[in-house]
Amino acid sequence: MSKSFMINRRTALGGAAALAAGTVLPAHAQDNKRIVVGTWGGDYSRLLAKNIETPLLAPKGWDVVKDEANAPPRRAKMMAEKALRRGTSDIQGLSANDMYEVNEQGLAEAIDYSKMPNAQNLIPAMKYPYGIGHIYSGKVVLYNPKLMAAPQGFADTLDPKHGNKLGIIDIQYQYTMLAAGLASGGSVGNFDPGKERLLACKKAGARIYPSNEAFAQALKTEEIACGIMWKARAVQWQNAGISVATVAPKEGVPMYVSGFMIPKNAPNKAGAYAYLDAMMAASAQEGFAVDMGYNPTVTNAKVPADVQERIGFTEEEKKRLVDLDYGYMGKNDTAFQEWWNKSFKA
Amino acid sequence: MADIAIPYSAVAAKRRREGLTAAALVGPATIFVTFCLLAPLVILFRYSLNEFVPTTKVMVEALTPANYIRFFTDPYYTAILATTVRVAVLVTAVCLLLGFPLAYVVARTQSRFKHLLIISIILPLFVGNAVRAAGWMTIFGTKGAVNATLLWLGLIDAPLQIMFTETAVIIGIIAVNLPFMVLTLQSVIEGIDRAVEEAAFSLGAPPGTMFRRVLWPLALPGIVAGTILTFILAMNAYATPFLLGGPRFKMMAPLVYDQFTKQANWPFGGSIAFILMTVTLLLTVAANLLLQRRAAR
Repeated sequence: MSKSFMINRRTALGGAAALAAGTVLPAHAQDNKRIVVGTWGGDYSRLLAKNIETPLLAPKGWDVVKDEANAPPRRAKMMAEKALRRGTSDIQGLSANDMYEVNEQGLAEAIDYSKMPNAQNLIPAMKYPYGIGHIYSGKVVLYNPKLMAAPQGFADTLDPKHGNKLGIIDIQYQYTMLAAGLASGGSVGNFDPGKERLLACKKAGARIYPSNEAFAQALKTEEIACGIMWKARAVQWQNAGISVATVAPKEGVPMYVSGFMIPKNAPNKAGAYAYLDAMMAASAQEGFAVDMGYNPTVTNAKVPADVQERIGFTEEEKKRLVDLDYGYMGKNDTAFQEWWNKSFKA
Repeated sequence: MADIAIPYSAVAAKRRREGLTAAALVGPATIFVTFCLLAPLVILFRYSLNEFVPTTKVMVEALTPANYIRFFTDPYYTAILATTVRVAVLVTAVCLLLGFPLAYVVARTQSRFKHLLIISIILPLFVGNAVRAAGWMTIFGTKGAVNATLLWLGLIDAPLQIMFTETAVIIGIIAVNLPFMVLTLQSVIEGIDRAVEEAAFSLGAPPGTMFRRVLWPLALPGIVAGTILTFILAMNAYATPFLLGGPRFKMMAPLVYDQFTKQANWPFGGSIAFILMTVTLLLTVAANLLLQRRAAR
């Protein structure tokens, strides 16, 4: 082989460096207009595209890339990227409870609300220091009116008298423990009184389903007649033709807030703020209310009266809306999971 | 013949060139294994010795065997390990039992449709485990195909609970692992000369004796390979136990995932992963030795 074709160490290193620079530079240039959104898949992701990305962000030249997964793996990914200077996502969709926890873990960027004009319409309770509330609903009682009379509340639903006609969702362990707690004299800061009730229900034959969808399927096939779930989901399932009605429990309606936050090492924070701002636009919020059955978190969204009647809460029910004690839930979540897995599900 | 002296420097240069070529061939695989397998394992093992603060869900650097002790002293976790081993052993045994006759037929058939037979065995592997489990879900459900048929035939009065049971998981994993067993056995049986079997028969051996004294020992390398493959796959099964086992049935792989993602407890998740790896390795080696010792007898 002639010497001119020999590749020595210096040429190899130089070539590799040039190649690396070539691949990194254009990617960095593209980042300015690219927003990477961590979100749940399915309807949520589809509606983000329909109500936010296509009508509000695409015309301004933003290019949105989705990282779709349930919250736990996305949280694990954020944790794994904690030490990196540049993470891989710009915003992440999480429940208010999860947002509280990732903030405690030092993963959340403090939100500068002055960067988002639409934030002036955000309900004050939805302005978390570490993220925004995007949509909200409440935990209500679901029952099949063909199979049983309307229960009054959580105590009437999480009751052994229903035997194997009561359905419980595994991934909703926190809210199930909270509901059982409220039914047995506990509070948002003390779930313990509900444990006996749940064990009695399980002993009586209550069925445990792995996901919200599996629960819906069981409602549809009439394998179960009642359970507890977000009112918004009940609306979606009604739309899908499942015979299900809701009751706002007399013990209180625990709120579920779905929000979005910016990871501290988000590579494109300007893009993240643009996305959050677009989420709070009245049109986007109205779209989510109609399509997904969740309540808007901004004051200027105009939801059609018939939709409002199905997804919202009456003035009387609104008084029973209960905000959660995220500190208590965050501190005790490991203990809750231990009890749920080892004692309740065992 | 006259001796031709080769200068020492030329020999050395040739050897160096050969060494470099060998390094170039082995290098990529070695680098890949080091960075993609060993390095993560080392990091994971280090994590497994850390502490976890449950109130903030944060990992704290430490050097403690507490996570391993916790696993082996808590009956909840040891029961999950026992379930995993039980399921894996059962699945492997059933796969061997069902797979051997099938592999034998495929290996010995003279049919011109042999390739179609082999393709039909491989075909299920084209579908992912999760998709296959979803298929089983429609069959095993309360209003699924099995229950609907049995009810229609009047064999049962109320639907059987098949979904979310250990039986559903075992059936699901067998369906996933069987092709691996059949393909491994088939390739080994094909290498055994048919004349050896005929020789046994001509010497008066009944089929059972021929199988025990001739076919089984000769097919043993394939049996060992197929058994190991099936056992390891069953021990590490994730999608099938997760989807068909339901919330109350637990095996080791879903438990590792739960600890990492749902509980954010990386140290404990890491230690469970290492326990799973070690138990799988030890049982595989033990079974291998046992089979080989029996064959030597």
